[in-house]
Amino acid sequence: MTLFAFLILLVAVVTGYILNLRAARAIRAGGANLHSLDGFHGGFSALVTLVPTFLLIILWLLFQGTIIEALVKASLPSGTLDGLGVGEVQLLMSEIRSIAGGRVFGTPEDWKLAAADHLVSLRATSSWLLVAVTSVMVIGLIYLSRRTVSAEFRARHGFERIVHGLMVACATVAIFVTIGIVASLVFETYRFFQMVPFWDFVLGTSWEPQIPLREDQIAAEGAFGMLPVFLGTLVIAFVAMFIATPIGLLSAIYLHEFASSRVRSVVKPVLEILAGVPTVVYGFFAILVIAPAIRSFGTDLGLPIAPNTALAAGSVMGIMLVPFISSFADDALGAVPRSLRDGSLAVGATQAETISKVLFPAAIPGIVGGILLAVSRAIGETMIVVMAAGLIAKMTINPLDSVTTVTVQIVTLLIGDTAFDSPKTLAAFALGMVLFLMTLIINIFALRIVRKYREIYD
Amino acid sequence: MYDAPTLERDVTEAKTKFSARNVQVWYGDTHAIKDVSVEIEDKTVTAFIGPSGCGKSTFLRCLNRMNDTIDICRVEGDILLDGEDIYDRHIDPVQLRAKVGMVFQKPNPFPKSIYDNVAYGPKIHGMTRSRAELDETVETALRRAALWDEVKDRLDSPGTGLSGGQQQRLCIARAVATKPEVLLMDEPCSALDPIATAQVEELIDELRARFSVVIVTHSMQQAARVSQKTAFFHLGELVEFGETGHIFTNPEDERTESYITGRIG
Repeated sequence: MTLFAFLILLVAVVTGYILNLRAARAIRAGGANLHSLDGFHGGFSALVTLVPTFLLIILWLLFQGTIIEALVKASLPSGTLDGLGVGEVQLLMSEIRSIAGGRVFGTPEDWKLAAADHLVSLRATSSWLLVAVTSVMVIGLIYLSRRTVSAEFRARHGFERIVHGLMVACATVAIFVTIGIVASLVFETYRFFQMVPFWDFVLGTSWEPQIPLREDQIAAEGAFGMLPVFLGTLVIAFVAMFIATPIGLLSAIYLHEFASSRVRSVVKPVLEILAGVPTVVYGFFAILVIAPAIRSFGTDLGLPIAPNTALAAGSVMGIMLVPFISSFADDALGAVPRSLRDGSLAVGATQAETISKVLFPAAIPGIVGGILLAVSRAIGETMIVVMAAGLIAKMTINPLDSVTTVTVQIVTLLIGDTAFDSPKTLAAFALGMVLFLMTLIINIFALRIVRKYREIYD
Repeated sequence: MYDAPTLERDVTEAKTKFSARNVQVWYGDTHAIKDVSVEIEDKTVTAFIGPSGCGKSTFLRCLNRMNDTIDICRVEGDILLDGEDIYDRHIDPVQLRAKVGMVFQKPNPFPKSIYDNVAYGPKIHGMTRSRAELDETVETALRRAALWDEVKDRLDSPGTGLSGGQQQRLCIARAVATKPEVLLMDEPCSALDPIATAQVEELIDELRARFSVVIVTHSMQQAARVSQKTAFFHLGELVEFGETGHIFTNPEDERTESYITGRIG
């Protein structure tokens, strides 16, 4: 039935478009000069029909369930819901729903069967009503917009205004989603801090969040100090960037300035393949190749090295990030006008001087943009760390030790049993908040740097 | 002042700076410059004129080996600067370009401060020992480019914030700061308004006292106003070369006459 409503809408949009287009053509054929092109008259009708009707159908579908349920509840014999908790009412309603769906277990009471019948009939009515309302609405809208067609009517302005409104709406969606995400984080984080003191979390040096969720479970005492996790993230991100930044930048400069076009045409796509490798595969690479190599190298030197090390995870992550940085830097260098390069070479600067003193400063915003993206990826990366760096939160900055990161801990906290009134689960949100603030601060910081050092060319 | 007859200008005491013999340039398979031989004199303004695509800019870029930056470009023949072949194996193009400065069609100041723009060349060539010396070099260059008075109070503001004419004079200052012997100008006024053009032309006339100036221009009036010698290029060939007054009043070649009277171009 819902599909039918959408079909009606589609037909109406096309009809309205054609009607108005024909009407406009007829006026033009009569020798009059129209303000707007024929297509705009058609488009105006199409949009005027489409937007409100589409919104109506969506709202209808969103709210019909709630409204029907409320109606069914109201029709229940008086007194049945008295004294029942929220959960029990939900249970009852879902039982009625499954009876309405034809899944009957045991022998339900008569009033339940009656309620189920009522539900079925309400649903049918709602569907028919939706189709009817949609039909009436589209006919009305087509009629209204057909009447607007005249030589003076500024259909283009109307069309543009509606499209403008749609664009604004799309832009606001992104903003509201962001606000929603932050709000949900803040809310749960607040609940977490009601159970765990704020300073214990921020300055605590021990992270043992696997506390019992039920009375009979045997688990850790519980300690929610984020410092070891936070440090682990920083160590791994630092190792990754330490590897990715120089390799990425230098390969970009080589490709852009020195490589012949043939070398470039081979190397660049290969480098971009790196960006397409799934992180799980990088994880394999870290476990199977890098970690044993680091370990045997350490053993040769007589150093005790853990099988899971921050160095292994970080360096593989660094390799993963190379294409981000190099392709951003390559684009940024390519965007610097040739005239600047010529100007520098013409006063007798070498290629190296030209790159370091003219091209690089002019390309800084793009380059920093790439590095920033890479840092965000490094902080947010989960899979490689789970596979190669371990799960144990240790208070260390030694890259040869096994560490864990914020994202990995969030995953482990939300896997398996969860209860949203336990600090164990809520800690995940607090960690999420930390991650969010971390990337936010890095972003602000980097923007400052860019603003200070960039050289604007036109 | 530029309406004065160009014939009367004194060009007798000149000595040869650049000497090009049988220069050929190819872009891939395109033969862009065909057998050009020309003598460019010191302390003289030499203008290259000709219709678009005639190779005058290409030839100019051969003089400081800027064509080296284009992969598919190939230069043959001899170009001697003070008797030395600039395409010789042991000549470093970087040093050559310090000696032969260049100003481009579109003003291309670096996105740095006015001071740093001018100080760029002297700094990379290590020409000055102290900050005071560098300051002096910058001031001299800006004065020579007739820009000092306009910018002396805002040397730290970005060069890209100047007007088009000022930017072009800044580029000239940048070029003269390395104390070159020759200054190449590739249509330096094509992006400028008439007033800025007049300023730059006046400047070119002053620069002649110190440098040999080679200017490519689309405007025949400009060539007549600023140059002592004129070379007319057509389809990659050097058609005629001689004293400016002579070329404009008494061209020997039919094509030159057609061009300066506006029949081809």
